[in-house]
Amino acid sequence: MNPIQDTRWSLLGLWMMLCSIGLVAIYSATQGPVSQFLPASIQSTFSKQLLVIGLSVVVMIVIQFLNPRVLIMLSRIAYPIGILLMIATLWVGKEVNGAQSWIVLFGFNLQTGEVMKPILIMATAFYISSQRELTLTKPRHFAVVTGLFALPIGLLLLQNDLGTALIFVALYPVILFWSGFPKGIVLLLMIPPLVGYAALYHWGFGLAIGIILTAIIFSMQQPRWQVLASLAIGASVLLFIQIGLEAVLQPYQVARIRTFIQPELDPQGAGWNVLQAKTALGSGGLFGKGFMEGTQTQLRYLPEQWTDFIFCVIGEEWGFLGAGFVLMTFLGLFWTMLQMMGDQSHPYSQTVILGFVAVYFFHFLINIGSSTGLLPVIGVPLPFVSYGGSSMLTNSIMIAIALNFDRNKRSFSIYR
Amino acid sequence: MKTHDHAQVQLLRRILLGIVVVLWGALFFRLIQIQVFEYERYQPLSQQNALRLETIAGTRGTIYDKNGEILVENQPVFTVTITPIDYDTSNNQQIASILDIEIDEYINRIDRARRYSRHRPSVLAAEVPFGPYSLLEENRWRLPGIGFRQQDKRNYPSSARASHVFGYLREADLEETRGSESIRLGDKIGKSGLELVYDPMLRGGLGERYYRVNALGQSLGEYTLASNERRNPPRGDDLVLTLDEDLQAYAERLMGDSKGAAVVMDPSNGALLALVSSPDIDLARLAGRLDREYWAEINTDSLTPLFNRVTSASQPPGSTLKPLMGIIGQHMGLITPETVIQNTGTYRLGRDYADLAPPGEYTLESSLAFSSNTYFFELMEQIARQGKLDEWAGYLRDVGLGQPTGIDLGSESRGIVPDSSRMNQLFGPKRWGLGDMINLGIGQGVFSVTPIQLAVTTSLIANGGQRVTPHLVSERIVGGATREILEYPSTPVTWIEKSTLEPIHKGMRAAVQNSVVSWLLEVPELEIAGKTGTAQNPRGQDHGWFTAFAPVNDPQVVVVVFMENGGFGSVSAAPIGSLLIEKALTGTTNRAYVERHVDAYVPPDPDEDDENGENDEEDGVTP
Repeated sequence: MNPIQDTRWSLLGLWMMLCSIGLVAIYSATQGPVSQFLPASIQSTFSKQLLVIGLSVVVMIVIQFLNPRVLIMLSRIAYPIGILLMIATLWVGKEVNGAQSWIVLFGFNLQTGEVMKPILIMATAFYISSQRELTLTKPRHFAVVTGLFALPIGLLLLQNDLGTALIFVALYPVILFWSGFPKGIVLLLMIPPLVGYAALYHWGFGLAIGIILTAIIFSMQQPRWQVLASLAIGASVLLFIQIGLEAVLQPYQVARIRTFIQPELDPQGAGWNVLQAKTALGSGGLFGKGFMEGTQTQLRYLPEQWTDFIFCVIGEEWGFLGAGFVLMTFLGLFWTMLQMMGDQSHPYSQTVILGFVAVYFFHFLINIGSSTGLLPVIGVPLPFVSYGGSSMLTNSIMIAIALNFDRNKRSFSIYR
Repeated sequence: MKTHDHAQVQLLRRILLGIVVVLWGALFFRLIQIQVFEYERYQPLSQQNALRLETIAGTRGTIYDKNGEILVENQPVFTVTITPIDYDTSNNQQIASILDIEIDEYINRIDRARRYSRHRPSVLAAEVPFGPYSLLEENRWRLPGIGFRQQDKRNYPSSARASHVFGYLREADLEETRGSESIRLGDKIGKSGLELVYDPMLRGGLGERYYRVNALGQSLGEYTLASNERRNPPRGDDLVLTLDEDLQAYAERLMGDSKGAAVVMDPSNGALLALVSSPDIDLARLAGRLDREYWAEINTDSLTPLFNRVTSASQPPGSTLKPLMGIIGQHMGLITPETVIQNTGTYRLGRDYADLAPPGEYTLESSLAFSSNTYFFELMEQIARQGKLDEWAGYLRDVGLGQPTGIDLGSESRGIVPDSSRMNQLFGPKRWGLGDMINLGIGQGVFSVTPIQLAVTTSLIANGGQRVTPHLVSERIVGGATREILEYPSTPVTWIEKSTLEPIHKGMRAAVQNSVVSWLLEVPELEIAGKTGTAQNPRGQDHGWFTAFAPVNDPQVVVVVFMENGGFGSVSAAPIGSLLIEKALTGTTNRAYVERHVDAYVPPDPDEDDENGENDEEDGVTP
């Protein structure tokens, strides 16, 4: 076994590429010609990010020297510690932008929800892979996995950190799907949110989504009751939403829901950010306005432009060439990591890497979806690119763990 | 433990990869849509966001007195704005206390701003003093959502209030913007006084500039591109006045709260050294935000402080007409300096007209000195009997009565010079006679002049027959550099001969010397020549007049003082006039006893007035 040869350098290269792009964008967003108008805490963003990347490199190197067995063992004990930290955050945490999700630990502001991401994935993977049957048909298994997810999701909602909670919610069916849970039921579980969300736009969309999902269940030759249940669930969600919008809710409440989903409806309010984000991207054009030349960025038309709207900074200053390159890099990341997952022969490491890709992907989807006006503005960081110490550190640790598992893939089963 | 076999894993991997690629593709196409196909739409939007075109007005001109002292200038006023979406309410208490606003009121204002727009800056506090402003400005980085603006307002640093001279500014309404391309809705324009008359000169032109703004609407400095060059607004012209700040302030102090007017003028050219209409207003309270309470107060005040008595108070001149009567009488050949008229104490024409001058023989000179009515009744009777009323009125118009003087303050009252058509108008044709005309000879009856008109006629007596245009502005300074002297017409009244003025000068000089209150008026070395007068007022207490010039042989200054309901001119108006001449000629005064008299003077109660009201010509007789 040759540790240099066996290391997946392409993944490391993608990681470095994204971190570099992030640093350039953060520098432009916070050190531009008019940065004196920014609060001092924001002006120091670039150097803090640089420091966190440095720290991440150290941690990543350390992780490469760990035996996978240690990581597996950590999966078991990290979960309760993570949960305790999240509970502690509720009491002694620091509130930023309305979310009480930070805790001060050894002088660092730690976002406990972020740290919980690999912990939850590894704990779930550990539980699933330690069962005799890698299927969750037994209600007890299903209940345990659901419980493992429900606990942090609940705590995140209490912390008012909607973005991270949403990532966990999205991760849940992926894990179920992977772990051999009946596919029809996974799809059934996905019906209410997807149909409901679409129905808020228009009942026709909801109906279409419901029919497509039912058709998929039917084509997968799932038991007939699942097809019928799918139809019934879809129809009742549709009916429920429609009655709610038409009869129960007051017009202003309906308007509030609609502007959350379609921010363009309220260009002075919720739509303001979306409009400014699209303007930044659109005015960047093919080649962009140049480094530190983006007017939307430099004149602070973008809210949270060093975190949630960092993609618009890149799009405005580097144009479609720059923004498209970021998309390609991410696609490369997902591709590589799915490849790594496929190369794994042990369900534990498979599940862990899959969970990591899924987390990256959902962050990517929601962040760029928000920036391009396809999704409501929820406010999640773009992995490795957005400013954020906890997020950067956690995401990098996940890369490091994946690299570790990948290098040890041939000998992995012996650790069980 | 059952595991996925390899093929199964690969299948699942491909399914997941497929989902990833599809969703990734959706984002990718969305990006192409926005950045490539909608570039044309968003590019102008970002331009609009980043650049604002602002029309800016040039600074309004400064007003200086004759010695270059600043009388009216501009003062920057600071406005604090709030952009609710960025605002952090935990700063409420602190900002409210810095701005000195009640916390409830402060929260109200924030709510109001929020209702207007969460993203646009609204005014949080206008006209914030410099101290709190700079404190907030220094800390702007920890006060998100707080912004700043700077504007100009008029400032009056002078000790002279001169509110009727300067006038006030108000925001232009829609009507006023129509006439001019350079006035925008809400721009401050002159509404009275010099600010109104010289508004086109004082007001700066309009210019344009582009400036960069951030999302909070904060200006981030000017933005210059070759294609959108800045057009600098021309600044307004500065004005140099003929006013003497010290003298003006002193005149205002002497006039105090009493109703009246005082004018000090250079008889050689009509340059006004002081112009006071009393009571006046506090221009500073009208300079910035409209102080509605104060505005209502001055508009309803029974003392009418907005009314400029110098140019608009039109009252019978009383005995101050007598010098002019002497000049006209000589010119008409009806009297000579040697003509002697007997004063028996009463002039009889159909009825008795009292003459309060001591009985005896009067020449033109002595009749002026003692203000004998008989002399001028006789003169007027001759004019009337010879049917020369209109000729007489023509001469009065020649010297400037009955018409605007042309003073650069606008809105003048014409006054009334009664001729036959005027008398017909007032009494009806043939319904007036000798009795109605006799009174005109001593400046009573249907005859009225304004203080500024009287200043013009007294100047004419002083300067040998030149009718000057009274004025306040001597120079305009264009663009802060080029000085341009303003010319005012001065026309000789051709029929006035120097010789006819001599007895008038002597008589007026003697009037001051022989006055019963000469201890209040006379300063030997100043050689004041003057004439008091009392305008009969059927509706209340009489009005006091005093007009004078000095020194008599080389006149350098003319004064007119008018005291509305002041009673006798000799005690109400003349002491003020005397002090003003002293101040104007010597630069100082050292007659505190006269100042005390002026301060202590209270007009007599009209109820205790002479019953023989129509003829109470008392000048130089009754203190």
